[in-house]
Amino acid sequence: MNKTKRIFEQTPETMEIICAGIGGRGVLLASTLLIECAVDADLSAIASDEYGMSQRGGSVVSHVKIGDAKSPVVGRENAHVLLAFEESEFYRNLTFIRRGGLAIINSRNTSIFESVDKVLKKRNIAYFLIDGDKIAKEKGMIQASNMAILGFFSAFSIGPYNHDALRHTIEKKVKESLVLKNIEVFEEGFLKAVSLSKNL
Amino acid sequence: MERKKEVMIGNYAIARGLVEAGIDLAAAYPGTPSSEILPGIIEFNKREKGSTYAEWSVNERCALEVAIGAAMIGKKSACMMKQVGLNVAFPPLPSFDELKIRGGLVMVVCDDPGPQSSQTEQDTRLISVLMDIAYFEPSSPDEAADIAYYAMNYSYEHKLPVIIRSTHRVSHARQAVSIFPKGKRIVDLKEGVLNKTNGNLEGSKLGIVSSGMTYSTTLDVLKEMGLDNIIPVFKVTSIMKGKISGDKNKGIIEFVDKVEHVLVLEETDAVLELLIGKNGKVLGRNTGHVPSAGELTYNVIRDILGDVLESLKITKKKFFYDYEIEDATKEIHIVQRPPKLCAGCPHRATFYAMKEAFPEAVFPGDIGCYTLGTSLGAVDTCIDMGGGINIASGFYDAYNQDGALIPIIATIGDSTFFHAGITPLYDAVKKNKRFMLIIMDNGTTAMTGMQPTPQTGITAQGELNKPILIEDMVSSLGIDFLKVVDPYDVPLMINTIKDAYNFLSLEIKKAAPAVIIARRECVLSSRGKEKPKYEEIPLEKTCIGCRTCIDYFGCPAIQFDDDKNQVIIDEGLCTKCGVCLFVCPMI
Repeated sequence: MNKTKRIFEQTPETMEIICAGIGGRGVLLASTLLIECAVDADLSAIASDEYGMSQRGGSVVSHVKIGDAKSPVVGRENAHVLLAFEESEFYRNLTFIRRGGLAIINSRNTSIFESVDKVLKKRNIAYFLIDGDKIAKEKGMIQASNMAILGFFSAFSIGPYNHDALRHTIEKKVKESLVLKNIEVFEEGFLKAVSLSKNL
Repeated sequence: MERKKEVMIGNYAIARGLVEAGIDLAAAYPGTPSSEILPGIIEFNKREKGSTYAEWSVNERCALEVAIGAAMIGKKSACMMKQVGLNVAFPPLPSFDELKIRGGLVMVVCDDPGPQSSQTEQDTRLISVLMDIAYFEPSSPDEAADIAYYAMNYSYEHKLPVIIRSTHRVSHARQAVSIFPKGKRIVDLKEGVLNKTNGNLEGSKLGIVSSGMTYSTTLDVLKEMGLDNIIPVFKVTSIMKGKISGDKNKGIIEFVDKVEHVLVLEETDAVLELLIGKNGKVLGRNTGHVPSAGELTYNVIRDILGDVLESLKITKKKFFYDYEIEDATKEIHIVQRPPKLCAGCPHRATFYAMKEAFPEAVFPGDIGCYTLGTSLGAVDTCIDMGGGINIASGFYDAYNQDGALIPIIATIGDSTFFHAGITPLYDAVKKNKRFMLIIMDNGTTAMTGMQPTPQTGITAQGELNKPILIEDMVSSLGIDFLKVVDPYDVPLMINTIKDAYNFLSLEIKKAAPAVIIARRECVLSSRGKEKPKYEEIPLEKTCIGCRTCIDYFGCPAIQFDDDKNQVIIDEGLCTKCGVCLFVCPMI
């Protein structure tokens, strides 16, 4: 039996997060919000943005470390949280997640491949699928699926990332013309997680 | 005093430090990972209501020499570039020894370990050491602001040019950075052993010498191993005038002398390792303990440390990979996402026309977004900025000597043409080299974040200056065949390319090369400005699953659905340019 504590049972001293997705779909905004939110909570934080290819539809991975970390670069099997903004990018970045970690995946599917499910269970990694694209589309802002993922993530209240704090950061940092829509999508993602926990 | 902090990337931190130090003039040519420094200077200067003058230069040499001029008069000046930009800026460097400046001169050069967005890795510290120029190296965005401030003041006080060497992991890391009022920054540059070991180095089996982001990552790895308070790590923040024997750096030598073995972790070349020397004691690139190329990522450093600690019999802390994760994804089809030209990119249309007109041609290419034409088979070479035109000249001579009739179609972007293409083209005209040059003019420097080119006349401050048209420049070089074509008009482009070939074959008394300007605004900047050319792209309706568009066009908005055996259009990406309609054999 695996005894690794799960991330939402005990917030680690230094938290490492990977945001993975496709260029131009809000990965960098998400990681920026994560770091701003941590700084607002008086924590030190450092993130590594990827530029250059990010506008060109390539894979984009942003590393975020909160707490006592000097470098933003996350090692293999070290990430406490993987936020995957697209399903293939989830599989591509699986090796980042540490035992006991958490993954949230934007996907229209309701299950993942059995082989992966098996290895995640073995490594005591919790994962959740959420159709962020659908939520964002329903709210009339197809590009904002990243907000649905952040909303869902905020429901776990890990470290500085609770619902109110993240919502506040979005209100503060997202372009004024887009804030309202983004918040709507964020809230919907949050509610999805809440209703899920009620069903459990 | 309460310190104000703001979250920003390393490049903005460098800009902040320079503005606080009272920079008068900044000049740069954009290049990843350095491009955001100049806009940062402009932004902070505005905020501080300062009078700093900032400009985008046509190339890095212009940037450096403009900065030198201002420094000679007594100004605090700086120039910024990427590591390969330093090659372009190189000519004045050997004269730095005799350079008399009255002001301050800071060169900010951002290296690209990996490389992630460059043709080669290159270590700017090697040039600094070779040319006896002092350099400073930040290990985080927060430190980058301090270093920029300190370096400018150091240069100003000592009347010596200095280099700030950043890497993309510092330049593009995001962190809360301390903000001070102008001229008030308190800097305490840290160097030496900073981690809390017991202080007694004598008899330490292993000491690490490191710098930059590699230093930061090394400390994080040691912390994971529980050794951050046991293995001493010497942080190198600056090397003064190419030596480590001077007063400022003698601590490195003392450190190396005291510990039993020294592991040097640095990006990307063995610079500190060579300066330290001490054969037999130093482990690094020359002993094979550190990979000879590539970024020193967290994983790489963790592996190196695991191996070294075990081989020196210090401790067994090797990290073992759980390969069951890889096994679990073996059977899964993971969509491959190599970087591609954007949907609607005019370059793709031009490349397609080139291949249609002369599939047997050779295609010397150049540096920019359009280097991605390799995936369309329309870029065969990529050496350096402007190199494609000279290579085309060389190809012509070689083929001509052998009597081979192979069409040569070179490509260069508009910004690259201004940067380094004019001299090679003039040289080719003087010698009547019979090749075709397509200048891919999208009106911007798209690869590095849409900086304006001289043709737009727009300055770094966003003001309108006199535009300089590419066709005016080209015709003044003596080119006889010059056409400007919209690449979205694929049939016209194909015909123009064929006309150019006929011109080169038949009009032997007129001056070659033949030049076509493929002009259409970059999709990233034209988005929303004009109505799409087509209302609907009927590709899905006519599709018979032949995959021609997938294999020969490669637009990211067109995906192939294996189950349905036909293409599907990604409406979120498609710009409705309709170029694919020329590609589809069924339309």
